[in-house]
Amino acid sequence: MATPELGYSDVNRMVLKTLAPPGRRYWLGVACLAAIVGAGFVAWLHQVRTGLGVTGLRQPVMWAFYITNFVFWVGIAHSGTLISAILFLFRTRWRTSVYRAAETMTVFAVMTAGLFPLIHLGRSWFFYWLLPYPNQRGLQPDFRSPLVWDAFAVGTYFIVSWTFLLMGLIPDVAAARDAATGWRRRFYGFLALGWRGTDEEWRHFSMVYLLLAGLATPLVISVHSVVSWDFAMTQVPGWHSTIFAPYFVAGAIFSGCAMVLTLLIPMRRMLGLEGALTPWHFDNLAKIILGMSLVVSYAYVSESFMAWYSANPFEYETFNQRYWGPYGWLFWLMVTCNCVIPLLLFSPRLRRNLVALFVISIFINIGMWVERFVIIAGSLATNTMPSQWGVYKPSPVELTITAAGFAWFLMWFVLFSRFLPIVSMTEVKEGIRWQRQARREERGGAS
Amino acid sequence: MATPGAPRRAGGCLVNDAAQVTGIFAEEEACAGAIVALRAAGLDAARVFSPFASEKVAEALGVRRSPVRFWVLLGGLAGCAGGFALTIGLSTLYPHRTAGMPIVSLPPFVIIAFELTILCGALSGVLGFLVHGRLPRAAPVPGYRVEFTNDRFGVVVVCTAAEVARVDGVLRVAGAREVTHESA
Repeated sequence: MATPELGYSDVNRMVLKTLAPPGRRYWLGVACLAAIVGAGFVAWLHQVRTGLGVTGLRQPVMWAFYITNFVFWVGIAHSGTLISAILFLFRTRWRTSVYRAAETMTVFAVMTAGLFPLIHLGRSWFFYWLLPYPNQRGLQPDFRSPLVWDAFAVGTYFIVSWTFLLMGLIPDVAAARDAATGWRRRFYGFLALGWRGTDEEWRHFSMVYLLLAGLATPLVISVHSVVSWDFAMTQVPGWHSTIFAPYFVAGAIFSGCAMVLTLLIPMRRMLGLEGALTPWHFDNLAKIILGMSLVVSYAYVSESFMAWYSANPFEYETFNQRYWGPYGWLFWLMVTCNCVIPLLLFSPRLRRNLVALFVISIFINIGMWVERFVIIAGSLATNTMPSQWGVYKPSPVELTITAAGFAWFLMWFVLFSRFLPIVSMTEVKEGIRWQRQARREERGGAS
Repeated sequence: MATPGAPRRAGGCLVNDAAQVTGIFAEEEACAGAIVALRAAGLDAARVFSPFASEKVAEALGVRRSPVRFWVLLGGLAGCAGGFALTIGLSTLYPHRTAGMPIVSLPPFVIIAFELTILCGALSGVLGFLVHGRLPRAAPVPGYRVEFTNDRFGVVVVCTAAEVARVDGVLRVAGAREVTHESA
C-alpha cells in the first residue's frame, strides 16, 4: 500500500517543507532555464523581423518543427487530466500523491503548446482572427475548419485545466497559509479565498470538483481528437485516416505518463517526497505506460496494414518512404523508443526501479516527439506527386525555439513546485484514511 | 420577536448568554460520532471543520447534495445553446461557401457547441461554488483553528450558557481531545 507510515500531520509537514525558501542552486537552475527561454525569444524576434524564411519551412513541408512541438505538448498535457480527472472518477487510490504534479504539468504543457501555433503563424499578432468577434472586415471564422475547432478546443482545455488546478489547490493553500508568515501568508491567503474547511465548504467543493472531473474527461478526449483532425481532415496521404483520433489520444496518454515519470522521479528526490511518492505509485504509472505502448504499437501496425490493404498507391508510397525514405531512421528510432523499449516494463522489478523508469521515460519522450515529426513532416515530404517531394531540415531558429519550449515548460514547473504544494495534502490524507479503514477491515476479518 | 433572554443569531453566532463550544478530534470517526451524539442529546453542530472531505462527517450531518450541480447544468446548457447560436448565426450572417459544404453544417458546429458546453459548465460550476461556499471570505469563521487544515477535526456547537457543561460532556464522551468554551 502507499504511504504506510504517514499520519495526517506528517503529510502537512512533508509537503510544506517543499515550500521552504529555495537555495542558490535552485535559482541558478531557474536562471539557466530562463536564459534558454530568452534565447528562444530572441530567435522568435529574429523570425518576426525577417519572416518565416529563416525557418526550414519550404514547399512541400510547410508544417514541421513548430506544429510537431504543438502536437507533442498538447499530448503531454493529456496524462495530467487522465490522472487528475479520469482516475478520480474511477476512485483510483494511487493517483492521490501524483495527480497534482500531473495536473500542473498539464497546465504548463498547454501553455507551451499554445505558443507554437502562434509562432508558426509568422504574424503572431493576428492570432485573434481565429476567434469570432465583432469586426469591420465583414468576415468571421469558418466554423467548418479544423483550425477553428483547434482554437476553441485548446482554449477551452487551457481555461478548464487552470480552473481544475486552482480549485484543487484551495484547501492545500489554506493549509500553507496557516503555516506561513509574511508575504507567503498573504499570497497563500489570497489563493485560499478564505477557505477554512467547514462542512459547507467541503460539500460544495466536493460537488464542483467531481463535476469538473466529469467535464474534463470528455474534454481531454475531444481536444486531442480535434488536434488529430487538423491532419485527418485533409487529403494528404499519411494523414487522411479514420484511426487518427484514438491513435493520437493513446499516444498522448502514453507520452504524458512518460513525462510525469521524467518529472516526478528527480522531483521526489530533490524535494524529499519519498514518503508520498513510493515505488507503488511509479509501478502503477508504468503499467499505464506499458498498456498505452501496446495500443500505440497496434496503431502503428494498423495504419501500415491499411496503407497496404487499401491498395492506394499514394498511401502505399507514403508509408514506403516513411520506413525507408530520408526520415526512415527516425521511424525506426520511434518504433524502438515507443514499441520495443517499453516492453521492459513487463518486468515488475523494473517497474519499481526508479533509475530504469527514468531512463525508459526519456526514451519514450524522444520517441513520441519523433512520432509527431514523422507523421507531420514525413507525410508532407512525400506528397501525392513525386515532383512535389522534398526534404525538410530545421533551421537554427527552429531548433532554438524548440529548446526554449522545453525550457519554458520546465521553468514554470520548477517554479510551481517550490511555491505551491506539488502534492495534494488533502487527497493524500484521504488515502491515509482509506488505508486505516482497510487495515481495520483486515483486522476485523482476521478476528 | 425573540423571547427576552433567549439566544439570538448574529453573523452565525449567538449573542446575550450564548456560548460557543468547540470539540477538537483527532479521528474523523470520533468527530462523526460526536455529531450523532449531539443530535441524540437534542443539540446540533453549528459547523464542522475537517482537513479533508470526510464522507463520515457528511453522513453524520445528513447533508444534502450541493446545488452547485444545477449551476453546472445550466451553464452547460447555456454554453451548448450559445455554441449553436454563435456558429449558425455567424455563418448565416457572413455566408462564405467553402469546399461545397452547406453554409449551416451542423456536424462541425457540434464541436464548437461541445467545447462551449464544457467551458461554460465548468466556469458556472466554479461560480456556483463561490456563491454557495460564500467565498472569497475575509471575515474569520467562529471556532476556526489552524489545526483544522492540518490533522484535527472540529465540531462547533452554539448553545446557551446553561447548556455548556452538557455539550462539553457529550463532546468529551465522544472522544474530543480538547474542548474549548467561548462566549459568543
